[in-house]
Amino acid sequence: MEKKAVAAQDLSGKKPVLILEKIKENLERLNEKIEVMIELQKHGRKDLEQTIADAPLDVMTLLSMPDHLRKTAMAVCRLGRATADEIAQQTHRARAVESAYVNQLVIMGHMKKERKGRKAYFYVDRESQE
Amino acid sequence: MGRMVAVHSYKGGTGKTLLSINLAAILAKRGKKVCLFDLDFRAPSLATILKVGNPEHWMNDYLNGTCEVDKVLIDFSDRVNSKNRLFVAPANPATEAIRDMSAKDRKWEMRALGRLLALRNSLLTENAFDYLVFDTSPGLQYSSINAIVSADLVIVATTLDRSDVDGTRRMLRELYDLFEKKTEIVLNKVLDASSQSSKEGVQTKVKDVYQVPLLGVIPCFCDILKAEGNIIFVQDKPDHPFTKILGEMAKEIDQMQQKPALTVQQSC
Repeated sequence: MEKKAVAAQDLSGKKPVLILEKIKENLERLNEKIEVMIELQKHGRKDLEQTIADAPLDVMTLLSMPDHLRKTAMAVCRLGRATADEIAQQTHRARAVESAYVNQLVIMGHMKKERKGRKAYFYVDRESQE
Repeated sequence: MGRMVAVHSYKGGTGKTLLSINLAAILAKRGKKVCLFDLDFRAPSLATILKVGNPEHWMNDYLNGTCEVDKVLIDFSDRVNSKNRLFVAPANPATEAIRDMSAKDRKWEMRALGRLLALRNSLLTENAFDYLVFDTSPGLQYSSINAIVSADLVIVATTLDRSDVDGTRRMLRELYDLFEKKTEIVLNKVLDASSQSSKEGVQTKVKDVYQVPLLGVIPCFCDILKAEGNIIFVQDKPDHPFTKILGEMAKEIDQMQQKPALTVQQSC
């Protein structure tokens, strides 16, 4: 009887919302991963041939990047620290596309990714690359 | 919000420094708050031309991360009679400093880019500067490309010399276009640019060859050579045709800033 009451309270309270948010968050992460996989397949993984843990994002590297990645990298540099949404606003491309490109830059070691709550922030870690 | 302007060229001797100094000075005289940076670390010249003496900190130190930018800025407002309007950040001309800057690696250059980008916040936003003018090294040098990447507008100084025309055209396609930079051409040292037909001919030629807007045409003035880099033309020779041309350029740059359609990509 007491258990039922607690369950009812949970259902009417915050718990279901939290569960849904968690599911949404996981789906978003899954979506990002799928987008990266699609992009990698599209570009034949060529961009990852030189992958290293921390690859300095200097201007010569920017110059040698494929156009689609350079545009994303430039937007992140300009913004300093940005979500895929903010990058998309700068580049006028779809958020999903930017998410894929910026995640590709993370895999290539040119950018760092940090999660804060439900949002993922991307940035160039200039100071730690000693 | 102010803007960063890089003055660059394919070859040396095209008049970048002359253009940078006079553009910064005339913008300051028009009431703008301007800072002129010497980013030509291979051949620094602002320190000598502007006779800055021996300051405690140089632009080199800021990029090395050993001081903040406010320690580097020298107030030159008195030189152009405009209070609190013109500042200069000179590069160290000592041979040892030049050697040190030439030996920097990719990671240092990446951090230097970060520090140049940070000027947008520290000077344009927090200190209400209207313009940061970067005088750069010619060609594809790290420091120059860092300046170009950071800038909102790139002014390319060029001459009618064939190798310069060819190199500049290539650079426009293979450098500025890749970074999606707003670029304007200044054609310098033009012989016989006084007649209207000659001016129009040059303008058409430049537009055809470079496919970018022409900011100005500067005739070859013997007075500039005679001055031997001892004067700031727009201040010391206010009635000289060179000053008038620079005035028109400054006006056009100001107008670009006011037009929302020309809000340029900032930087990386």
